[in-house]
Amino acid sequence: MKVSYFETARYAPPSALPSEWPVASGAYDPEAGAKAYRGMIERLQLVEELGFDWVSVSEHHYSPRILTPSPIVSAAFLAAHLKKIRIALLGPIVPHSNPVRVAEEIAMLDTLAQGRLIVGLLRGTTNESITYDLNPAEARERTDEGMALILKAWTEPQPFGWQGRHFQYRTISIWPRPLQQPHPPTFSLGTSRESCEFAARHRLGCGVSYGPFDVMAKSTRYYREQCERYGWTPTPEQIVYRANMLVADTDQDAHALLERQPKQAPFGMRTGLRDAFMRLDERNIAGEKRAPNVGGVLPTTFCGSPDTVVEQVRRCRDEIGAGVLDLSLHPPGSGDVEPLLRALELFGTKVLPRIRDI
Amino acid sequence: MTFTERFVDADGFRIRYMEAGQGTPLVHFHGAGGLRVNPGHELLARQLRVLAFEMPGFGSSLENTRTKTMPELAATMAIALEALGLEAFNLMGTSFGAKTALWLALERPDRVRALVLEAPAAIRQPGAQSPAGTPEEMARRLSAHPERLASIPPPDPAVRTKQQALVQRLRGPDRDPELEHRLRGLTVPTLVLFGTEDQVIAPAMGRVYKDLIPGAHLVFVYDAGHVISTDRPEAFTEVVADFLERHEAFVISRAQTVIHP
Repeated sequence: MKVSYFETARYAPPSALPSEWPVASGAYDPEAGAKAYRGMIERLQLVEELGFDWVSVSEHHYSPRILTPSPIVSAAFLAAHLKKIRIALLGPIVPHSNPVRVAEEIAMLDTLAQGRLIVGLLRGTTNESITYDLNPAEARERTDEGMALILKAWTEPQPFGWQGRHFQYRTISIWPRPLQQPHPPTFSLGTSRESCEFAARHRLGCGVSYGPFDVMAKSTRYYREQCERYGWTPTPEQIVYRANMLVADTDQDAHALLERQPKQAPFGMRTGLRDAFMRLDERNIAGEKRAPNVGGVLPTTFCGSPDTVVEQVRRCRDEIGAGVLDLSLHPPGSGDVEPLLRALELFGTKVLPRIRDI
Repeated sequence: MTFTERFVDADGFRIRYMEAGQGTPLVHFHGAGGLRVNPGHELLARQLRVLAFEMPGFGSSLENTRTKTMPELAATMAIALEALGLEAFNLMGTSFGAKTALWLALERPDRVRALVLEAPAAIRQPGAQSPAGTPEEMARRLSAHPERLASIPPPDPAVRTKQQALVQRLRGPDRDPELEHRLRGLTVPTLVLFGTEDQVIAPAMGRVYKDLIPGAHLVFVYDAGHVISTDRPEAFTEVVADFLERHEAFVISRAQTVIHP
């Protein structure tokens, strides 16, 4: 089992924040932000020493909880400060980006990072679509076309034009191309039928997140079936599972932490907006309709002492088939970093060595 | 779109209004200069039933020495709307008229579906001055593109005098504690618009409305002055009509980006 640490730049607000989304940017504290980014590097040096395989960053907007609106900038900064660990860009949100720009930046970054880049491409939720005034109803189509174009821009040796549905270019010929050939390990992120199907068709990895093992297993099973249909078999390393983990000395301590987790999202939405999001965020697990999660919290699927967590990881491998865990460690989204560092140490010393052979 | 002149008798006043279009009623209260049908009205009337009122004491109406406060003027206008059988309507107020609209919405939130404030003058920067001077000087204060304005006929001195007295009496202080206190309890979906080039009311006042009115939305119209609906009528109409239709869900774009099917 390989392990990735999901870095969100833990922002600790010096005073209480407004509770409505989008959180007013006037409430942002520049000094606290600078501290969050400094802390990120210190923490990741520890993560690297502990032997994590990857550090991952994501793209999220208008939120103090994940302070990385540009995953490319985050990844470039991390690549410059860290020596061995692979940088997983699980990000970028494809539909609202210029695909050629994404292809160029990733190629450049992979080369700057001496081939240490991992790439995940995704659609993003309705709240992210608002950032750049994208119609969320078009997000899926733009994602599929954007991802296809990014792959083409990395691999087509001759200048080419693109006559798409949503994107049109008369000529494309990017410089540099990625250092890793034909391109960095790339994942299509998402549990939907569309995302799994795209991954299978383009021989990409598949990334699922947060849901319970049995639910995520439906997506990864569908992905493997589709791969078979396209005549290939993915390796375990081509399945990433992003999850929350609460690890403590004893099961009792871990469950006490879980009890203390907030039961609803910290930044609520006014009713009219939330209702519109609920309609637009409709999602599916391998084609099976699922209610969207708007204003809720993400589940914590690993919780317990090191012994318990090792067993859970074993079960996760059996059920989901994931060969890479991308972990948000205690307490997810919190700016309180002391318990996080303790959880990292505990995981790195008591769990990580025991899940290598799973 | 042709506007038809009509009158309604209400609260002892004979009130003139201009009407065009079909559909959901949009009631409009003008700024301190009085009622003029502008390109924003024309475009809105393609989608909505627009009723632009001349408030008592402005334009061709008789001098109004009776109305003493803005809430009183709002009450008179509410009676006029009732007399026209308008039970539920959208309400838009421009500059001075935005304050009238705010008071009406505060007193009759059950009737107002949504509220649009165009360059509202209900909250002003310290020492804000009303535009004054020659027509050319006025145009330069009001518009980011005075060269595009149709030449405004020089105002009738008698009309100007009676309007100015009324505006001075009703507009209230730059910061009105009673109004601001009440705005914290305003329940009507509200959109506040400022032109980025507004030379009359500082666009920075927009954030005060945002802070006070629960769930209010603030939109800056680029390259527009105080008369947003005249300077950028298409941009103004698009966001106003979208907000009136969808309220806060208007933040979710419906624009199509398909180039080729």
